[in-house]
Amino acid sequence: MSIKGVMRLVSVGVIVLMLSGCWNSRELNDLAIVSGIGIDLVPETNEFKVTFQLVNPSSTATGFGASAGEPSIVIVSASDRTIFGALRQASKRATRQLFFAHTQLVVLGESLARSGINDVFDIFERSHELRLNSAVLVARNNDAASVLKILTAIESLPSLGLVKKTQNTSRVWGENRTIDVFDIINGITGEGDLTINGVSIQGNASEGMKKSNLEQTVSHAGTVMDGLGAFSEGKLIYWMKDSEARGTEWLLNRIEETIINIDSVDKKESIAVNIVYSRTKVKIDIQDGLPVFHVSISEEGIVNETDGFVDLSKREEIVKLEQELQEQTGKDVRQALQMAQQMESDIFNFGNELKRSDPQGWASLDKKWGHIFAQGKLDLHVEAYIRSTGMSLKPYHPAPE
Amino acid sequence: MDKTTKESGQAAQTVDSAGGKPHNPPISPDLEENITQIKARLGNSPDLIIRTYELINRTARVAAVYMIGITDREMVDHFISHVMSFESLNDDIRLAATTAEVYSYIKDNALSIGKEKLVQDINGLLEALLSGDTIILVDGLGEAVSGSTCGGEVRPVSEASTQVAIRGSKESFTETISTNIALVRKIIKNPDLWTETMKLGDVTHTDITIMYIHGIADEETIKVFKKKLQEIKVDSILESGYIEQIIEDNKYSPFPTLYNTERPDSVAGNLLDGRIAIFVDGTPFVLIAPTTFFMFFHTVEDYYQRYDISTLIRLLRFLCLLISLYGPAIFVAALNFHQEMIPTPLLINLASQREGVPFPAFVEAVMMEVTFEIIREAGVRMPSPIGQTVSIIGGLVLGTAAVQAGIVSPAMVIVVSLTGISSFATPAFNMALSIRMLRFIIMVIAAFMGLYGIAIFTIMLIAHMCSLRSLGVPYMSPLGPFVPENQKDTFLRSPLTFMKIRKRLLNKGNSSTAPGKKTAKRNSYEH
Repeated sequence: MSIKGVMRLVSVGVIVLMLSGCWNSRELNDLAIVSGIGIDLVPETNEFKVTFQLVNPSSTATGFGASAGEPSIVIVSASDRTIFGALRQASKRATRQLFFAHTQLVVLGESLARSGINDVFDIFERSHELRLNSAVLVARNNDAASVLKILTAIESLPSLGLVKKTQNTSRVWGENRTIDVFDIINGITGEGDLTINGVSIQGNASEGMKKSNLEQTVSHAGTVMDGLGAFSEGKLIYWMKDSEARGTEWLLNRIEETIINIDSVDKKESIAVNIVYSRTKVKIDIQDGLPVFHVSISEEGIVNETDGFVDLSKREEIVKLEQELQEQTGKDVRQALQMAQQMESDIFNFGNELKRSDPQGWASLDKKWGHIFAQGKLDLHVEAYIRSTGMSLKPYHPAPE
Repeated sequence: MDKTTKESGQAAQTVDSAGGKPHNPPISPDLEENITQIKARLGNSPDLIIRTYELINRTARVAAVYMIGITDREMVDHFISHVMSFESLNDDIRLAATTAEVYSYIKDNALSIGKEKLVQDINGLLEALLSGDTIILVDGLGEAVSGSTCGGEVRPVSEASTQVAIRGSKESFTETISTNIALVRKIIKNPDLWTETMKLGDVTHTDITIMYIHGIADEETIKVFKKKLQEIKVDSILESGYIEQIIEDNKYSPFPTLYNTERPDSVAGNLLDGRIAIFVDGTPFVLIAPTTFFMFFHTVEDYYQRYDISTLIRLLRFLCLLISLYGPAIFVAALNFHQEMIPTPLLINLASQREGVPFPAFVEAVMMEVTFEIIREAGVRMPSPIGQTVSIIGGLVLGTAAVQAGIVSPAMVIVVSLTGISSFATPAFNMALSIRMLRFIIMVIAAFMGLYGIAIFTIMLIAHMCSLRSLGVPYMSPLGPFVPENQKDTFLRSPLTFMKIRKRLLNKGNSSTAPGKKTAKRNSYEH
């Protein structure tokens, strides 16, 4: 290769570099990272009011010269007939281009949830700017914007804090599960209905927006995970709580860990069993034109606390405990199913399961699955096993006389 | 190419006219004339010593000629006194001796010392003289005896400074070619260790020795290689780097295609793999050919330590290669193009660091890299006490001060210093230099085209590396072409007992000028 050839090659290379022109190159300090999106309905104009929780980088984390005075987030709202319109309208209020790739959380206002969410999520699937794995919550008794405004202690980003709350409680308490945009789209397109975690504000919401709220040991306001919203045909119709919610998770095989309190001889609900393993198998078949849900749950627990007396050194006592566990679990599951059947809303994914395992049977039913689901019968088998009694057998307090 | 040959040809001609080598007269029978001639040719250099003697009743006039400084004084004295001693002869013969007889005695005496030769012409005489020989001229005879008395100040064998090993021989080559050859001979005590010597450089007459193991090294490769060496036409060879640059197959490649080492054990190991070593007088760096890419990431110590440790350390070196090549590029690409790729908490962390930094990430990266290169370059040439000062000041500038002034973000400092340290983990300095250079190119591409550009460039780079050859052996072997048995000693270092078959060098004897013949025969050592 001659020098001339090399020069030519180099100049071609340089030109090619210039042609690309830094396409899509964005400096980090020209971006407004959106950590949470709230979507509300404005009934008067029938517009979406979209609220963005923007990260304020100079006051988060550790960087040099961080100005401690500002809160870690900034809230910006915009209204438009479409969500994307609102996304772009926000440019009137934000100094930087909104960057959605790190959206942790999508909050839906309760009024929007009640009026139907089926058409909200198209943009999440269609636009390359948004992502499908953001967690979704419904602001219970409130609008989404208020929820996004509340600052969270410990976590610098409230959205991330809410997602962590969901994950945390899902893992150890078992009344919720993490639900993201993708799950919801699946739920909308599938045969059944869906549930979305609820979040509510406790305390004085306007105090919760202030940074001073975090400068005390007890916050004036905070967000709390609150129930499981059951949807029917895309509309929020009922808030499931406590054992109903847990029964739902049980039927969906989404229990990781939970606590069941069992009566002892002398005190009600005084023995705490930590369920550490649970598997649910669902089989559905059709008998006389109606579905029968064969649900078998196997669970394992550890006795972690006995406030009432129980002599755990005896095998019979343990067997008794296991039976109690089975009953309690069965009660949760029955309550959840009963509630869902009342609403004619198949939030347990049974429809999809039946369609998958018995497409012909499904074809013969099909019409108005919610109605048919409501008449389905439950065939429940629970198998409980106490794996361990913790680090002691008998409690240190004596048996009641 | 044509141009360079022409230039070197011209240079040779000018040397001929200026250096005074227009004719090559035979040694004249007249001693005085010879001495005048030698003096004239050497420009009356003061380091030329001529001692004249009249032997045996002044019948024979003899002169001893040598250069001071490149000869060993004791050896010269010994040689002269030995050559001119006639005690063994009885007086009758001594007194009656003619010039011719005296000369033949001198010759016999010189022979008994060994390493002597006869010279007939002035040029041969000068060449011997300048190699450190002592020349004995006898009046009345057109011939001279030269005896090797070369010596002078040499650096002793010392510890390797560029290729340090924790475990293994501490010897390294010196500037004296004979010492260097001896160092290898001491390791491979085998008659099949062959060497061939030639002189290169029209002006410098530098001694070059090629060394290989007969029966292991491929005959064809040796032949091709010797031909390449003989075709070299230059004035001077000051270091093995001259030869490296002249015989390289691909001059426009950023990658070095010849390996150099200053460790005798490294040379020995490569000779046993069937490679050829080129010793150049005046430099401790010995060239090894043919060279593959992976040689630059192996050290002799890999074979001295246990295989598990060696394997892990090798893998670490390849990781360091990737870091030092791509580190800043990937960081810039991720920061400018692929923010969605960075985990959210990290992104927010980075964003908060970059808040207030006035430059784009790319400018920041280039600034830091250039600063680092400046500090490195300044540190290399400084005397070691000052060198430390440079690195301390540099460390402060690079680290704390730049960050606190808000000129660069702390994360960029981490990336740049990690990259810098990684580049030191490449055992071969010349390969580390190439990677340093490529790093900047990749950084520019990453700033323009992001990961897409990095991917494209990587593909181009790998294609280029696969096209390279060193003395006919594919540069990327044993990966491309894939040689299964060599995999034991490429990324990994299998236990020594597993490596029973000698490594295969593909396409031996095929230089890049005559491709097509692919002989992949297995090397076996036969007597």
